[in-house]
Amino acid sequence: MIEYDECEKRMVLKLVYYGPALSGKTTNLLQLHDLLQPEGRGDLMVLDTKDDRTIFFDLLPFFLMAPSGLRIKLKVYTVPGQVKHDATRKAVLQRADGVAFIADSQRSEITNNFNSFQNLEKNLGFVGLDIEHIPLVVQFNKRDLGGIVAEEEVRRVWNPSGIPVFMSSALHGTGVLETFVQLADRTYEHIDSRYGLAGNHGLDKHMFLSQLVRRRSDYS
Amino acid sequence: MNLTTEIEFLVGAEKRLTDVLDEAQTQPLLNSAVKAGVGFAAIVDDRGVPLWSLGTHQPLPIPVEEDWDATCRLLLEGEPVGAVCLIRGQVSSKGCGIMAHLIAEALNSIINNNLKRMLTTEIHTRVVNQSYDELLESNRRLTESEKKYRDLAETLERRVQERSGELKRAYARLIQQEKMASVGQLAAGVAHEINNPISYILSNLNMLRRYLGKMASMLEHYRELHASAGSEKWQELKLDMVLGDAGELLDQNVSGAEKIIQIVSDLKGFSHVDDMGESAVDINLEIDRTLGVLSREIPGDARIVKEYGDLPTFEGNAAQLCQVVLNLLRNAFQARPRGLQLVITTEHKGENIRIRFSDNGPGVPDDIRNRIFEPFFTTRDVGQGTGLGLTVAYDIVTGYGGTIEVENRRQGGAVFLVQLPVTGGTHGQLR
Repeated sequence: MIEYDECEKRMVLKLVYYGPALSGKTTNLLQLHDLLQPEGRGDLMVLDTKDDRTIFFDLLPFFLMAPSGLRIKLKVYTVPGQVKHDATRKAVLQRADGVAFIADSQRSEITNNFNSFQNLEKNLGFVGLDIEHIPLVVQFNKRDLGGIVAEEEVRRVWNPSGIPVFMSSALHGTGVLETFVQLADRTYEHIDSRYGLAGNHGLDKHMFLSQLVRRRSDYS
Repeated sequence: MNLTTEIEFLVGAEKRLTDVLDEAQTQPLLNSAVKAGVGFAAIVDDRGVPLWSLGTHQPLPIPVEEDWDATCRLLLEGEPVGAVCLIRGQVSSKGCGIMAHLIAEALNSIINNNLKRMLTTEIHTRVVNQSYDELLESNRRLTESEKKYRDLAETLERRVQERSGELKRAYARLIQQEKMASVGQLAAGVAHEINNPISYILSNLNMLRRYLGKMASMLEHYRELHASAGSEKWQELKLDMVLGDAGELLDQNVSGAEKIIQIVSDLKGFSHVDDMGESAVDINLEIDRTLGVLSREIPGDARIVKEYGDLPTFEGNAAQLCQVVLNLLRNAFQARPRGLQLVITTEHKGENIRIRFSDNGPGVPDDIRNRIFEPFFTTRDVGQGTGLGLTVAYDIVTGYGGTIEVENRRQGGAVFLVQLPVTGGTHGQLR
């Protein structure tokens, strides 16, 4: 958690989209930005990129209000996936409340996925977080491509871990919201148990999620 | 790297309007508005408090919303953080609204760019700092490991020397133990073999002396009876001399045989083939035994003075102790072949038994005093000494937790002082 000010009735949360280079983290945020109503969220801020590769991070903020008057700001970040930007990843990961790991489904990327996940585990430890306890979801992106790992195989590998896994094609907007909703759901559970969002602020999970995820289609 | 330096800044930390906007950036815009005829222009924070303002139609320090003719929100990360507020003055209501909108657009763009710049600068600085910290850390580790290797290289020579010293000592001990074992076995065998014949030789000699006495008195008897007949023959055979000498010869044989028996007994006792384990040792007795064994090596004109004190028994291996004494005695004999005066003193002092060998030899030169206990260090000619005698003595004594020291006497000669703890027997195994 970035900030919690009881007097100011303000809570700032951080979600991080992690994963290997070119797995589609920024695309996920772009799609979220496009799929959700402008109301309740800010604009997507894309910091300097080089050849479309994230160097720093991207940021998409969301704003929620609990019946108690507690204002919740939820900042969704991406990290740079390239190995060389490890220090930036550590910095972005600091005080994260939830992590979505965006894996690349292509067979050729199996090793990169593995290394990146190990890197996530290591860096979480570095910033004092525990991969066993932090809300975590996994997305296998690029399902629209050929030469990908079969879904059954993915599930066979990941199901024993108990981490929710989503198949997606971020470029086409499938699986993006599901991933985000599940991450928000898990994060809510985690925060609620500590800060009593429902008990103290009257903000139950349904309210939390419906404020956060307002599809454009619902609006129109 | 501790955590407090880690969290100098946090990606995502909340910012306020004053963090991303300053007077230099707002003043030109406000100034333009006033020049265009706006009565009062201000930028207020999220509570409506003016941060920067300009103009003549000044409202109250904390104006309320109705004071303004036009307001337009400023956003930071999509969140309202303040507003551009105008009092229209000479400008039309519509113009004032447009102007507020324009200023807000310009400021929002500035805010956004400033925010991006800050975020990139911050993270850049942080990454650089962290890399620098990591470099420092890896430099520190390198320095450490370099130091370790340098130390290792420096001590290597010394450690090799120590090790080879240890090996030499072990080798010396091995040789000595082998020698002791074979000497012991030989001595035991010889003693056993000699014991029987020498016993009946001695007893026969005594018998023979008695028989000779009888025969002599028989001869005297015959001589008295046939004085004239035998006298010539008696003279011819020089029987007076023969009879007198025969007794003496037998006496010498008896004392020779007795000496053999003594030597055999000493040898047997010295080799301690019968008890290689630990027992209560009378040190004074062992010194005497060793002197007995060495009797042939003692220079003829040597004067050995024994000044034995009352000693408690020493729990240890007698053979080892004899070895120490033997080696120190030999050292003294070889130090002064002629005119040796050796004083052997024993005393019980405190927790220690002290044995002192004080000779009148040439003493130990200062430059080799540290080396005489080293294995294979010898000042004797080739073939004379092995260079092991004092080493073995040293190892045995220190094995019992004792000490062995050498000093030169002022009046010439060396003093070897052996100190053994009375209770030393419990760990008295040769290392």
